[in-house]
Amino acid sequence: MTAPLPKSGADAATWDRVALVDLLDRVLTTGVVISGEVTLSIADVDLVYVSVHALVSSVRAGGPGPVPLRGARP
Amino acid sequence: MASLTAGTGVWVYAICADIDDGRLSGVVGVDREPVRAVRAAGLTAVVGSVPLTEFGEEGLPRNLNDLARLESIARAHHRVVEIVADHGPAVPTRLATVYQDTDRIAGMLARRHDDFIAALGRVARRREWGVKVYGDRPEPATAVTPPLGASPGSPGAGTAYLRDRRQQLADRDVSHRTALAAAEAVHADLSGHAVAARRHRPQDPQLRGESRWMVLNGAYLVDDDIAEAFAAAVAACADRYRDVTIESTGPWPPYSFADIEDDADLTQGPP
Amino acid sequence: MIHPASWEPSPRPRIEVDREDAERGLASLVLTVVELIRQLMERQAVRRMEEGDLDDEQIERMGSTLMALAGQMVRLREHFGLAPEDLNLDLGPLGTLLPRD
Repeated sequence: MTAPLPKSGADAATWDRVALVDLLDRVLTTGVVISGEVTLSIADVDLVYVSVHALVSSVRAGGPGPVPLRGARP
Repeated sequence: MASLTAGTGVWVYAICADIDDGRLSGVVGVDREPVRAVRAAGLTAVVGSVPLTEFGEEGLPRNLNDLARLESIARAHHRVVEIVADHGPAVPTRLATVYQDTDRIAGMLARRHDDFIAALGRVARRREWGVKVYGDRPEPATAVTPPLGASPGSPGAGTAYLRDRRQQLADRDVSHRTALAAAEAVHADLSGHAVAARRHRPQDPQLRGESRWMVLNGAYLVDDDIAEAFAAAVAACADRYRDVTIESTGPWPPYSFADIEDDADLTQGPP
Repeated sequence: MIHPASWEPSPRPRIEVDREDAERGLASLVLTVVELIRQLMERQAVRRMEEGDLDDEQIERMGSTLMALAGQMVRLREHFGLAPEDLNLDLGPLGTLLPRD
């Protein structure tokens, strides 16, 4: 089981304790949605996920490479 | 109408009742800007001024599509949210909520005052825990390899292939059902220890860099008083449901329970 | 353009892809559909076999055909540099196209 995070968020060294994917899950798709002048819409979130996915794939393949498109998004 | 690609905007991190300015001193945000409090209608928005070239209509998609920038922005946003939530009840804002100016923020606080008060009440002295459950097989399905020793055309190869496939599908069905049943049981169990529970979409396995099949991506709002009991419940689930793997993250600020439009699923009630 | 925080698509920046990526993207779409049909056919064949709906010769013929088809799919996939998980359309809130097993 993953250990709980330390309480204080002020320590930059604790950054890496939070897995990026767990963090993105939360800050991109949860949190209160209020009507700012610029906000994320679902399409924007999808776009972010496509990019992150592409980068993860290229990293796993051992270096920068062509974007493996997984299928068109509407 | 003002352009949203130049000049300065205001990035919102979280809403709370109030926060000591000293608590925000030295805290920086997504643009390494000093964060500050905007107070209106008995509420406080924790904000930072950011350049719209980077965080406006054009800059934001560009930054979010750059993984290094996205990570830096997300972590910085989260760090401010954590500091606010550590101080007292707070409603985290979704990433990338930018206003033209603080007057509009003040107006928003006044308009949604009652909603925010209710939301703050729901999360007071509570934290979010994430629990993920994985099946023990990789997903998605890989192509079936022909039975060992058989080549297309050799006698009985086709029949052996179909039988092999039948066995595989049957095994997958059992494994599939077991994992899903475990996920339901874990969710029900943990919901009983939580004030509210929510199921998120399973995470993309490739984003995690792994191939395990995620059957539950749960978020639980738990009273601070019983955080240890909740952790014990998670450990007990891991012990009981051996066909699956259980991971937990947290505590988090209550991102998944911040909605002021719809209510998060409410469970039967606190223990 | 101002867009409020509602569930409406916003104009997205265009992703520039080169020709090779476009071909691979198209191939993954096409092969995903073919793969879906292949899996459905296999499941139906297995079901019919279990129900006693096929005689031995039919089972052998169907199995050989499906086996050859599976092999072809692997070759096609590899030709385009696609991994098995690339052939699974994620339809967002609707979930994935192929069953996640």
